[in-house]
Amino acid sequence: MSVETAPLTTPSLATPPLRAQLAAGGFVVAPGVYDALSALIASRAGFGALYLSGASIAYTRYGVPDIGLLGMTEVADTLTAICDRVAAPVIVDGDTGFGNALNVTRTVRAFERAGAQAIQLEDQAMPKRCGHLAGKSLVPAAEMAGKVKAAVDARRAEDFLIVARTDAIAVEGYGPALDRAELYLEAGADVLFVEAPRDRIEMDGIVARFGGRVPLLANMVEGGRTPLLDAAALEAIGYALAIFPGGTVRALSRLLEEYYGSLREHGGTGPFLDRMNLFDGLNEIIGTPGYLARGRAYDGSNFGDKA
Amino acid sequence: MAFDRPSGDRVSDRRRWLRAAVDERRALLVPGAANALTARVIEDAGFEVAYVTGAGVANTLLGVPDIGLVTLTEIVQTTEAIAEICSLPLIVDIDTGFGNAVNTRRTVRLLERAGAAAVQIEDQVFPKKCGHFDGKGVIPAAEMVSKIKAAVDAREDANLLVIARTDARAIEGLDAAIERAERYIEAGADVTFVEAPTSPDEMRAVTARLRVPQVANLVVGGRTPLLPQAELAALGFSIVLYANTPLQAAMRAMSEVLGALKRDGGLDAVKDRLAGFEERQRLVDKATYDALEKRYAVE
Repeated sequence: MSVETAPLTTPSLATPPLRAQLAAGGFVVAPGVYDALSALIASRAGFGALYLSGASIAYTRYGVPDIGLLGMTEVADTLTAICDRVAAPVIVDGDTGFGNALNVTRTVRAFERAGAQAIQLEDQAMPKRCGHLAGKSLVPAAEMAGKVKAAVDARRAEDFLIVARTDAIAVEGYGPALDRAELYLEAGADVLFVEAPRDRIEMDGIVARFGGRVPLLANMVEGGRTPLLDAAALEAIGYALAIFPGGTVRALSRLLEEYYGSLREHGGTGPFLDRMNLFDGLNEIIGTPGYLARGRAYDGSNFGDKA
Repeated sequence: MAFDRPSGDRVSDRRRWLRAAVDERRALLVPGAANALTARVIEDAGFEVAYVTGAGVANTLLGVPDIGLVTLTEIVQTTEAIAEICSLPLIVDIDTGFGNAVNTRRTVRLLERAGAAAVQIEDQVFPKKCGHFDGKGVIPAAEMVSKIKAAVDAREDANLLVIARTDARAIEGLDAAIERAERYIEAGADVTFVEAPTSPDEMRAVTARLRVPQVANLVVGGRTPLLPQAELAALGFSIVLYANTPLQAAMRAMSEVLGALKRDGGLDAVKDRLAGFEERQRLVDKATYDALEKRYAVE
């Protein structure tokens, strides 16, 4: 007999691959996610892509700063859980690739197998730190170009994108950062990410040099070094893709402070109820009805078991 | 059940036992395990200590060379699995600490919780470069000193041994390597490990000049002479690593048995070289699990 079941992934099954979205010229906004629940909620909100932020995993799962403490396995585990649950394209933060070019090879294969559609690799020295923190240092440009090439060679599917990020503006200056980006583009990067331009002029300069040759990614960090712009403004400048990686946890942490503060103060959740998903609401997000339907479809009574 | 070792049942007992045992400088033979089954075999054979080998995890779990591809998580999970079924004190290879001093702190904390009795940290460049096999690079001694301090500060059990390994012999010479080891001792290393002395005289110099217990690493085909245990004890070594011996033996055995199976289409020629069903179940302690099933059986 055929088993009629609800899909276990979210309704965004029709989301086109990220490469196709970029090729079609649409502007892609990717909010930060840090686990499968945040990915489900972001996906239901209708985003064309999700960004799995290494910083957010460090913050939420381990409660530590973004200073390169997490290993590749820890990111891969989180990514696997997310891709098991959502169909939207996931861009995964690959940090430095967790080592040299050979580590990059292993990392790309692991992340592609886990279901990511893009990996972001940066030219910081290991262990890395958040792009908007002081005290960054870089690997030589040629070493990073080798890592980008290793990533290109390691992917199995052409649709898997290599996003090359340079952190060089804060270390070597604006001009050298653009030269690094050029080198990474030559090495095969599909998307360029020049981290932390300091004003509109620098953003315009990035687009003037690379626009039309390769999709450009902008990183919006609330309280970071780059002007905080919205999607329309970034698209007008000439960017193709914007990530809002840390905003999710910054919003979440505020909400949790308020929720826990309210529960502590009132000894109950009544005053906070209008700001909560109730039992059924959360189950609907999680997809509980679909799981239960699937369980019923596989019940032994459907297969001749006279219970 | 194999819980009658002198090293004791609790991890804290094993750590105390190992700290005392290395002070006896009797050249404890320590084979390496890359997985729990190997640790079972090591314990079953009567060894007192086992070594969790990073190279072995690279070779067996991942099927890749020892070039720094193994992650901290994979070493932690391997150590947890071994500590769960093996009652021996475990010396865990943590390579470079998986980053700088701050990463080393996290590494030591996770491995202490996973059940390590000792951690071994080395002064190689992180991550190991592709050219590793042609020539190792070492970090400045001061940077290694800070990692050792981080490791010492990170442990909760003062009996967790911090073993500091220097790879400088091949790069800077024996004297420089011994000087590094002295600095690592000042930084708090409980044991040092001067990698790859090339003669008995060099080995004697290591134990004569360094006051803390020493490790000798015996690698078949490596640079250090393969001296018998009695001579190593006479030289004053505390720990003698045979890190890859079980793996090398298993590789040869698998190749030969599988070669015969492929060639002959059957196992007749190699039947006597396989562990029997009973032997296999004994090594994974099936009797204990049978007893547990009985004890918790629903009436």
